[in-house]
Amino acid sequence: MQACSKSSGGDDGKQTNTQFDRKGLLTNMSTNIILPAYTSFQASASALNDAVVAFNASPDAAKLTAAQTAFVAAYKQWQSTSEYDFGPANQANFRVNINTYPADITQINTNIISNTYNPALLANLAAKGLPAIDYLLFGVGTDNASILAQYTADAKAANRKTYLAALALEIKTSATSVLSTWNSSYKATFLAADGTDVGSSLGQLVNQLVYDYEILKNYEVGVPAGTQSMGTTYPQKVQAYYSKISLQLALLHIQAMQNLYMGKDGLGLDDYLINVNAKYSDGRLLNDVIKAQFATATAKLQALTDPLADNIRTNPGAVTAAYTELQKLTVLLKTDMTSSLGILITFGDNDGD
Amino acid sequence: MISKTFKNWFFEPIHIAPLAVLRIAFGVIMFISTIRFMLRGWVEAFYVKPRFHFTFYGFDWVKPLGEIGMYALFMLMVVCTLLIAAGLLYRLAAALFFLSFTYVELIDKTTYLNHYYLVSIIAFLLILVPANRYFAVDAWLKPQLKVVHVPAWCVNIFRLQLVMVYFFAGLSKINYDWLIAAMPLRIWLPASSQLWLIGGLLTQLWVAYLFSWFGMIFDLLIGFFLLSNRYRKWAYLFVLVFHIVSGWFFKIGMFPYIMIFVTLVFFSAETQLRIIAWIRLLLFIKSDSKEAGRTYKPSIIPSKLIFTVLIIHFVLQLILPFRFVFYPGKLYWTEEGYRFSWRVMLMEKGGTAFFHVKDPTTGRSNEIINSQYLTQFQETMMATQPDMILQYAHFLANEYKQHGIKDPIVTAESYVTLNGSGSRLYIDTTVNLTRERETLFGHRKWIRPFIDKN
Repeated sequence: MQACSKSSGGDDGKQTNTQFDRKGLLTNMSTNIILPAYTSFQASASALNDAVVAFNASPDAAKLTAAQTAFVAAYKQWQSTSEYDFGPANQANFRVNINTYPADITQINTNIISNTYNPALLANLAAKGLPAIDYLLFGVGTDNASILAQYTADAKAANRKTYLAALALEIKTSATSVLSTWNSSYKATFLAADGTDVGSSLGQLVNQLVYDYEILKNYEVGVPAGTQSMGTTYPQKVQAYYSKISLQLALLHIQAMQNLYMGKDGLGLDDYLINVNAKYSDGRLLNDVIKAQFATATAKLQALTDPLADNIRTNPGAVTAAYTELQKLTVLLKTDMTSSLGILITFGDNDGD
Repeated sequence: MISKTFKNWFFEPIHIAPLAVLRIAFGVIMFISTIRFMLRGWVEAFYVKPRFHFTFYGFDWVKPLGEIGMYALFMLMVVCTLLIAAGLLYRLAAALFFLSFTYVELIDKTTYLNHYYLVSIIAFLLILVPANRYFAVDAWLKPQLKVVHVPAWCVNIFRLQLVMVYFFAGLSKINYDWLIAAMPLRIWLPASSQLWLIGGLLTQLWVAYLFSWFGMIFDLLIGFFLLSNRYRKWAYLFVLVFHIVSGWFFKIGMFPYIMIFVTLVFFSAETQLRIIAWIRLLLFIKSDSKEAGRTYKPSIIPSKLIFTVLIIHFVLQLILPFRFVFYPGKLYWTEEGYRFSWRVMLMEKGGTAFFHVKDPTTGRSNEIINSQYLTQFQETMMATQPDMILQYAHFLANEYKQHGIKDPIVTAESYVTLNGSGSRLYIDTTVNLTRERETLFGHRKWIRPFIDKN
């Protein structure tokens, strides 16, 4: 038996055989990427809440613009926060509570008219969070003057202000709670689970990276461009339809994912793939292929312009081209990367055999 | 001479103790296993939540029973495992357990595992033997049932089954990927490098080779060593170490413990009686003074029937693992003839599948978001298994027909990586899968060949 193991030299003498520092990767990601993201998002959600409170106290054009600016800042920061929907974020259903879109305008208006809002109600998922505020701050009128009128002259102005305030506060509260759980206890839990199974931190991180990436591909680009509706486009289904920053957000989103993949300047999934000498089917290093595909997909997105909804109406071909490149990256992250690292990707786990 | 050995193997009266111990061991381990399955929320996740199930060929009629029905079925299994262990209403309990367990397994091939298949087989074989005639509540309530000796086949069928399981598992490891490339252990072992004490070793390539070769030799030989009086104790020690270590490294659930429990059947009557004495001590059951008893003699007609069933069963067991030779292409890639063959832990395979539904009248098409129809577990398993891809394509065609699209064209664009090969196109994307039919043993021509480019 010993002779056997000696005689088989293997087909790949270049394997490094050094142990990859998974704990180091988790430390880097939590310290330098995830916690800063939560901290910034909490700050921007808090600023948004303050701006809304100030606007509600005495609505005027300047305070409306200030609230809109605070909203854009928060939505941008959200793009590098949505990926980590495990642990405290998962407990709080953070992603669906903050960013379920397209916003349900009918439900929002029903809530305003009745002056009731139950945040726990499933029907309110699409009537809350950033997409609802997107509508309330940018979509209730054709320009800022008519939007302002909805908060001053309109018969339901008081109700509308109450609703806007409730939504802004809800985001701030849940952002604060997720951040404080990470700071107080979850970081230690995260660092301790340094295996590769479904419950491990790396397993959850990669699962959520892939999951969030599919949201980007499907809901920020694919669905509005008609890939799931027999070619019929739905431009109004884009993220941030009313504030018209959909493409900016998509670019920030993919950048955030690349950042996580690279581990910013420290240990990342790229280093891990290099360590295990993972190859693509054509023999190139998998890490090189993934980095190149991030670049290609980003370039295709950059070829589009905001408002993305207008691009979908006028130049659907370019949007579909971006979608195709995004799809290739799905395969690389979901299949090649996880398989090379032996990471289990299924949420509903089961015994292997 | 040979015929005499053969005859002994079947009819020599031997002590019934191994059967009683097997009955208890199987009942106890399946009790734990069933409870564990429920506690993990898997009844809900696998049999209540999914809106579509991947049934086995010819078993389309097997349907989940709804939430209450599924939990009732699992509770029935729990009760049966206890009855089996106690040896109360034994044959009925064994039959009900076999039927309910197998029914659950047939609902969805997503959850197929070789050791579930083994559980079904052992449960089936247990129905055929009088394991309740000794150290059992049945025999205590009805002393005339009690026997001390049974024809050897009653015990030997279990030993034969287990030898086959190990041996075929060993045979399947004799291939390039496992022995020469040390795949998939070369990927899996470093993934456990966080383990205490030995974690660092697991990233060493030579360790992957050592485990691969040792695993192959262990599986090939262990069954025969367990049969030998001389080496049995050492062999069982190897069984313990092998299964505990693999259970520690890999996420394989109850499998190691099931094997550790059922391989007890190899031990001699003496050892089994010692185990029984130990259980008596543990449960404060006073020992039976009248050891001398009758030999079990099944009546002629049922025993003829049992032999016929056993012969068919073991012939099938012998043939099924070899059916793969009739298919072209790489077995791990096509998985034609892969299941029901004791191929365990051989592949690191992953895939992503995109399905497109096209309306032939408008020429417009849709990409499917799989999570709208499948659980993530189903989606993951489906992406790498052609029969499941076909079933899902047919399901999608039906969905779209109901939405008013006549003759939808369904194509699959699946990218699969196998043992570190890197992802490559798996299914011919030009084939309209709604036109392809699943057959029992037919070859699926629409699987693209695996071409090793490295």
